[in-house]
Amino acid sequence: MSFSSDVLTQLSDAISARADAAKNVVVAVRVGEGRHLTGMAWQGGVVVVSEQVLPRKDEFELVAPGGAILAAKLAGRDASTNIAVLRTADSIAAPAFTATDARVGTLALAIGADGAGSASARLGMVNLVDGEWHSRRGGLIDRRIILDIALAHREEGGPVFDATGGCLGMSTFGPRGQVIVIPHATLTRVVPQLVKDGRVSRGWLGVALHAVAVPDALRESADQTGGMMVMSVVENGPAAQAGIVAGDIILSVDGISAHRFRKIARYFGGDSIGRKADVRLIRGGAIITVQTTIAERRAA
Amino acid sequence: MSELADDIVFAHRLRVAVRADEPLRRTALCKAVTEAGHMIVDEHDAADIVLADGSHPSNEVGNVVGLGIADDRLRGALPRDADARQIDAAIRAVAAGLIVRAPVARESGFGAMRESEGHALLTPRELEVLAALAEGMTNKAIARRLDISLHTVKFHVESLFRKLGARTRTEAVAKAAERRRNGIIML
Repeated sequence: MSFSSDVLTQLSDAISARADAAKNVVVAVRVGEGRHLTGMAWQGGVVVVSEQVLPRKDEFELVAPGGAILAAKLAGRDASTNIAVLRTADSIAAPAFTATDARVGTLALAIGADGAGSASARLGMVNLVDGEWHSRRGGLIDRRIILDIALAHREEGGPVFDATGGCLGMSTFGPRGQVIVIPHATLTRVVPQLVKDGRVSRGWLGVALHAVAVPDALRESADQTGGMMVMSVVENGPAAQAGIVAGDIILSVDGISAHRFRKIARYFGGDSIGRKADVRLIRGGAIITVQTTIAERRAA
Repeated sequence: MSELADDIVFAHRLRVAVRADEPLRRTALCKAVTEAGHMIVDEHDAADIVLADGSHPSNEVGNVVGLGIADDRLRGALPRDADARQIDAAIRAVAAGLIVRAPVARESGFGAMRESEGHALLTPRELEVLAALAEGMTNKAIARRLDISLHTVKFHVESLFRKLGARTRTEAVAKAAERRRNGIIML
């Protein structure tokens, strides 16, 4: 590389050097019909991928950096944080990712696997950064990071770096084609659990819920306008054992309003397993309270 | 209330085969198709167009309008929550040899839990009325089933339209189904 005083050339060279270095951190996960997804080579011979696009099977074929084909087994997946972990028989040299905090306006370099052992690169910008959030399935994501970047479907699951080379996290498609990042902090929290147990432990009542309005006549005594209607009850689950039936409208669990669902999701973390919980609900026009014992969520 | 079919004069009537696994979904789709002036036919019965729901993908891609099916080979691809007018427009366009795409890059994706806004939540009674709407029941039949007055049924239907942002019964059923699919929380 010849020395150039031109700023644009320097920028271009710097990005190109980063992209070249990053080819050692991405793995292609073959998904059939000549298609692949991107995975991040993580410490300890595991590969981190985006859960929502990973086919529901146990064995996969990977293309490691350099082009070697490796067999891999599913070690665990957690839809609530969109993280899945594959384990390979032969270990892959994993780089140490340095976590970095996302800042709005900084450049973002998203790396994908090209399917032949090398990397593809995308340049964009951190569009928005906000605090922690909960996914539709109740998982806690440590930061909201939205990118202004184009990403191919085969590149989803690759690492995203900022200009310092620090890792923001894993690229993922959000709703409406938006590219978001599962933050590095979430990966370091969830990946070890998945490697160890194959899942993230979480409290569970065994009900499917849907938000409804509390009927006018009961609004005053319920002291809230919304509740969660029980759509179905898992046989022999904690709710079923407590006599909760479809059609009940759950108002609160241990005093936490059911329609404040983020608080509920937090309340049902791994530490809730085995705890007794009072469920206040509407049944047949009356408000009653039943006691349940929170169990551990069964494997999906 | 004005149904779509009352407002439009249809020049062309197409033979449409509807593929959907869920009976409620099938009913809603058939209703949207017939209300737009088309005819429901059996699939093997020389259909002009196949309207296929996401629950029912297939290898055939010719004159197929898919709802929520991620297959680039489809001539017509709509999101699963497409409304009656969009379905009608897509059926006609594909029958005329055009390709139809909705301007949505990707339907689903890893999204945030939405805490429901209180004003738009349906009451248990409204859900019962909605279930009856999905079966294609008239207001009178709904009043009989739920043992309430016709006036009260109309009141609930109006309220459903307002809360769901729907203009027709079909649209209300489709929007509620969409909401339900996104809004079920496992605990």
